[in-house]
Amino acid sequence: MDGLPGRNYFLAAVVVYGLSALYSVFLWRKGFREDDRVNYALLFVAGILHTTAMFRRGFWFDRCPVNNLYEATTFLLWTIVAAYLVAGAWPRLRFVGAFAAPLLFCVGVFAMMPRLDNPYGSHPEFKHDWVSLHAALILLSYGAFGLSSVAGLMYLTQEHDLKFHKMRAVFSLLPPIQRLELVIGRLLAAGFVLLTVGLVIGAVWLKLPDGVSFLDDPKVHWSLLVWLLYLALLVMNWRFAQGGRRLSWGAVGCFLFVLLTFWGVNLMSPSHH
Amino acid sequence: MAIVVIGLSHHTSPVEMRERFAFAESKIPEALQRLRSAGLAEEAVILSTCNRVEIYAALTRADRPAFQALQRFLVDWSDYRGPLNDEVYSLGEPQSVEHLFKVAAGLDSMVLGETEILGQLKRAYELALRHRHTAGRLNKAFQRAFNVAKQIRTETNIQRGSVSVSSVAVELAEKIFSTLHDRQVMVIGAGDTSEKTARALLSRGALSVIVSNRSPDRAQALAEELGGRAVPFERWAKEFEKIDIVISSTAAPHYILDRAKLEPLMKIRRNRPLLLIDIAVPRDIEPEINFLESVYLYNIDDLQAIAESYLQYRRDEIARCEAIIREKTLALLAAGGPPPLAPGSRPAFGHD
Repeated sequence: MDGLPGRNYFLAAVVVYGLSALYSVFLWRKGFREDDRVNYALLFVAGILHTTAMFRRGFWFDRCPVNNLYEATTFLLWTIVAAYLVAGAWPRLRFVGAFAAPLLFCVGVFAMMPRLDNPYGSHPEFKHDWVSLHAALILLSYGAFGLSSVAGLMYLTQEHDLKFHKMRAVFSLLPPIQRLELVIGRLLAAGFVLLTVGLVIGAVWLKLPDGVSFLDDPKVHWSLLVWLLYLALLVMNWRFAQGGRRLSWGAVGCFLFVLLTFWGVNLMSPSHH
Repeated sequence: MAIVVIGLSHHTSPVEMRERFAFAESKIPEALQRLRSAGLAEEAVILSTCNRVEIYAALTRADRPAFQALQRFLVDWSDYRGPLNDEVYSLGEPQSVEHLFKVAAGLDSMVLGETEILGQLKRAYELALRHRHTAGRLNKAFQRAFNVAKQIRTETNIQRGSVSVSSVAVELAEKIFSTLHDRQVMVIGAGDTSEKTARALLSRGALSVIVSNRSPDRAQALAEELGGRAVPFERWAKEFEKIDIVISSTAAPHYILDRAKLEPLMKIRRNRPLLLIDIAVPRDIEPEINFLESVYLYNIDDLQAIAESYLQYRRDEIARCEAIIREKTLALLAAGGPPPLAPGSRPAFGHD
């Protein structure tokens, strides 16, 4: 076994996510006409490997596996793949895999970077239930934001096809744009609530190491910035009735920002909390 | 006993001829009775629709005189005195069975893959069955035909998509709106296609229709037919706030809706999606409007292009359907009839 337990299983899951992402290119080219059982099967296999990786690590340390950046990222990806596998039980929703697979693969490759999975031995940073809940809620909120960006990509694809009279607009299995807009709004709202509760719990119960203050921690600044970004997105949507296109770009853009800055900010944080 | 088909369809004859040969439904039992009592067929089913008139028969001897006798019956029954060239076709096994399966699956229809013919075929068969003009051979063949049609419908894409302008419009609406149940439709101008499109939307659950036309009487009449209400032509823009789908087909020589007019209306509508179907020639709606957010504009060419693509998509499925039909035909003939001819071989008799 290399390093901490479960990594090999997760590596296998990432390889299968990669295969699914490749197959997704074929589905995109086919215009989502077919019920993509093959892609669902691939993501199902990857999901099993991914779950095994998390269980192995969780049972090894006998706690929820969200103790370092690698675990946090795999947990986030797991929420996305689990949500997809449940939704994909309905054949009409299986095409979502074609949008989710590239995201799962790319973030999975990032998660495999060695520096993210620092051994913490028998002293993980999250020792208390409240702190584990803080981490789990925040990661779940990122999962919801990730799904909203997937739905946003679907909206933008379908909206573009409708605007430019592409045949794919009617041939594809993509849902109506109005429903996608609703789904994006609800996922953003759910993610925002989870993020807010997670941050409040962290602010109240998280004990930082001596000499480290919340005010000096870039991760806290970054978390507040993410919170403000999503708040602005939701307010714009509710208050000013912006169209679905802007909401979708917002959901995709905000999540891209989270993805691109997540590791950097975590590695910069002096508390590594 | 062999299954044969004799008849004429939209492939071989114009409507003027088909209507001469058509059987009135009330006369079909009598025609079937005469076919059997004259010894022309052991079992028979007559299918008479606007696109085809066909006699499916089970014969003890499917030879040339038997086919000639059936054709004579067809001509005498309709009292047709004109010349006949290739309009009437006659098919023996296995082509006759393949033809029956193709007809049931809509592969021989004018609109490829349509399902109406299956209902008509079922009614024709039930009529013959009720009057005891079918027995083992045709019963088995028709039951198998209905099963094959079902299999083709579920396993191939031959019936997928919309191939008419009105149904394409409905499909587009279903790709934009979560549901059509609370959608308001506006018809501007009262043409035939716009009426059909409005009806199609209503049949899929649209809430109501507002009709506006230069002729108030025509608007009122159409509104009553569609169960909606009429508004004066000068006031249609005032109703726009509530509208989700517009079907426009006026005879106006210029645009009746342009970007400058719609932009403020979209603000009032809080950017709710708006589907505009412009089936007028010359067009009623300025194409620039499509660049506005949440507005989706389709003209008649766009709709026809989608319908044609669907049709091509269905055509691409024909090979798969024919493979199923060949397999089922061979299975049917192997189970209950004389040894079948190899697939692709010539029919017993071609066009007479």
